[in-house]
Amino acid sequence: MKVFRPVLCALLLVAAMSVPAFAAEIRLAQVADISSLDPHKVSDIYSANVIRQIYSNLVQVNENMEIVPDLAESWENPDDLTWIFHLRKGITFHNGEPFTAKDVKYSIERIRNPETASPGATHLKEVQSVEAPDDYTVKIVTKRPFAPMLMSLTRYETSILNEKAVSASGADYGSKAAVGTGPFKFVEWSRGDKVTLEKNPEYFRGPAVLDRVIYRGIPEDATRLIELESGGVDLIPGNFPYQEFANIEKNDKYLTYKVPAMSTLYMGLNTEVKPFGDKLVRQAMNYAVDKQAIVDAVYFGFAAPSRGPLSPVIWGFDPTRTAVYPYDPVKAKELLKQAGYADGFDMTIYSDNRTERRSAAELIQAYLAEVGIRANIELMEWSALLSTSAKGIGGAFMLGWTGTGDADGGMTPVYHSANIGSSNRFRYKSEGIDALLDKGTATLDQDARKKVYAEVQELITEECPLVFMISQELLGASSKKVQGFKLYPNMISPLYTVTLSE
Amino acid sequence: MLRYFTKRLIFLIPVLLGVSIVIFAIVHLAPGDPAEVMLGPSATQEDIGKLREQLGLTKPLYVQYWIFLTNALKGDLGRSIKSNAPVLEEILERFPATLTLASLGMLFAITVGLPLGVLAALKQNTWVDALCSFFALVGFSIPNFWVGLMLMLLLSITIPILPSSGFDSWKNLIMPTIVLGIQTMAVIARMTRSSMLEVIRQDYVRTARAKGISDRLVLTRHILTNVMIPVVTIAGIYFGHSLGGVVITETIFSIPGLGRLIVDAIRAQDYPVVQGGVLFFALCVGIVNLLVDLLYAVLDPRIKAQYRSAK
Repeated sequence: MKVFRPVLCALLLVAAMSVPAFAAEIRLAQVADISSLDPHKVSDIYSANVIRQIYSNLVQVNENMEIVPDLAESWENPDDLTWIFHLRKGITFHNGEPFTAKDVKYSIERIRNPETASPGATHLKEVQSVEAPDDYTVKIVTKRPFAPMLMSLTRYETSILNEKAVSASGADYGSKAAVGTGPFKFVEWSRGDKVTLEKNPEYFRGPAVLDRVIYRGIPEDATRLIELESGGVDLIPGNFPYQEFANIEKNDKYLTYKVPAMSTLYMGLNTEVKPFGDKLVRQAMNYAVDKQAIVDAVYFGFAAPSRGPLSPVIWGFDPTRTAVYPYDPVKAKELLKQAGYADGFDMTIYSDNRTERRSAAELIQAYLAEVGIRANIELMEWSALLSTSAKGIGGAFMLGWTGTGDADGGMTPVYHSANIGSSNRFRYKSEGIDALLDKGTATLDQDARKKVYAEVQELITEECPLVFMISQELLGASSKKVQGFKLYPNMISPLYTVTLSE
Repeated sequence: MLRYFTKRLIFLIPVLLGVSIVIFAIVHLAPGDPAEVMLGPSATQEDIGKLREQLGLTKPLYVQYWIFLTNALKGDLGRSIKSNAPVLEEILERFPATLTLASLGMLFAITVGLPLGVLAALKQNTWVDALCSFFALVGFSIPNFWVGLMLMLLLSITIPILPSSGFDSWKNLIMPTIVLGIQTMAVIARMTRSSMLEVIRQDYVRTARAKGISDRLVLTRHILTNVMIPVVTIAGIYFGHSLGGVVITETIFSIPGLGRLIVDAIRAQDYPVVQGGVLFFALCVGIVNLLVDLLYAVLDPRIKAQYRSAK
């Protein structure tokens, strides 16, 4: 070691001299590199995170998932179908173009244009028309009263783009150019590796503290951790491996972040497959599975048993709810007997190959066996699982649901019978549920909506076309020098207020 | 020689055609499709149908194949479904990293493996031999992702001198090179040793020695040239192998190479990228094999003579 010391000192000296005057640069590690920076064409969370730093929306969510102004200063509803947004003045895009209502109209129409094939089009499908009566007013008319409109407009998929910037780059928009009004400007994307952003000095809320932001895609869990430990990255904004989190929480070299996720994980049941059409059987299966065991074994404690169809951070979640279907194998057997399945039955659980889902499926298999239900597990490719389950899969399937942040987005796609054939994979039709879900979107009175959603959460829990499982927590970690970072429940965390201490 | 070379190049055409058919069939017959992956779990069948039509996935398979083939012949491999970038551009952007890595790995394997094998053979049945063989055996048996993680712990954390991931400077290449080359190194060491032991006992070696040629010259001129042929064969096979196997190394060290591009594309069911990438790999492996065959001729006058007589 003695021999190495002078060498090490020399190396450190060289390293120290090669660092220029302190520029606040933060390096983040995500699981994958981005796929594009065209918000209207992506559907992955890693691109969404970078998009969030570059673009703005009409409205945004804060860390409590409450709606706050962004490009729109205020908004009003002259009637149940019309949304008027009053825009901030004096905002410019990164290319120098002034931001006006025309940009909003262009963006919304671009998303809705079938040629764009935007994954976000689904969030705006209730829009009838969008108009720009003057430069700073936008009028959106919906086909029917549609209360979740604001939440849809907070989505990264509905970011506001500049028409000139998009047409100037043509097919290269999103890979070689990305122009927004956000706190950071796009610098370059080295595909498969990293994307670099720099501070936008003209940002309308004042420039960010950070000078440069680098998002890297590091697929291997262990490598991401080693990079954090060796100082190669400063912040892991989510996707921190569950099994390592307890260790890093204890280590005072790091800051850790933990917040309940918007998503819930469940085992769906195709109710057209026998015997899942029988409510007693479904309830029996719910009692048969110990959800806390899944929390402990699969998520190392960083999750909570489901309190119904919604995660507690979704707007409209009824806070009086408690964990559903406590573990009770005796009751499960009793219900099975009542349903005429005293000897159990055979079934298949379909899952993709992700560790957590597969392990959860294996635990469920063991618990079901205890009440006499013989389940076998079949693994499928993710895309195959999506398409087969949409068309009606031959049994149960492991799936999660994130939604939009609003109770409507958390339940209507999954439980409304209008979505059988696509996202209602239980293929379950209940007139009661349908009616309540429709009622929830039809009134703009948020308090009235909350009451409706409380009712429907209870009804879905009772009908249970699925085996409820867990809501996981989002985990992140950073070096101590990162200050002011907040992990958002939707896993898209802004860096505007982040600072670095030396 | 030139004629042989052109002939071999022409033979590559049916091989690539075959590969293109097989990969096209596998990609399109596998369940699921890119429209579903792109639009996610909330998409309606109607949206999926529309997108599928837009991507040209509703046409009969043979029509899709014909379009793919004719465009490919014009050098157009289509656009990535995921990123909308031209596939060829993505491949060419990623290929240098993979080629650099595979070449450095091979260089490492040969420069370490060959001397190790020679040393082991020259000191047969001594502790040097045992040590070399042990080293080779270990190199071959331990999984390379484990070697990668151990190297990272050692050289990025315990003695922090190398960056653990990325592709920014030459420092990023050291650990991946070792990880990628270590198995080939072991195989080459074993191969060199056994081939040396065989050659050493040949009559011509004894004759050379009897003539009074120095040990060094016997080794370089008479033994090593003959040892090289099996070694080159192995190196050639493993080079093709490591072009394909580089994906693990690329993933551990998060290097933006071609292997990862293809694996990510498979996950996203990004058909054009998978097809283009695999076809490109096939072309590379074909060319490497050809180069290996040509190298034989350089090393072995008998083989060169065969080419001549085939004229």
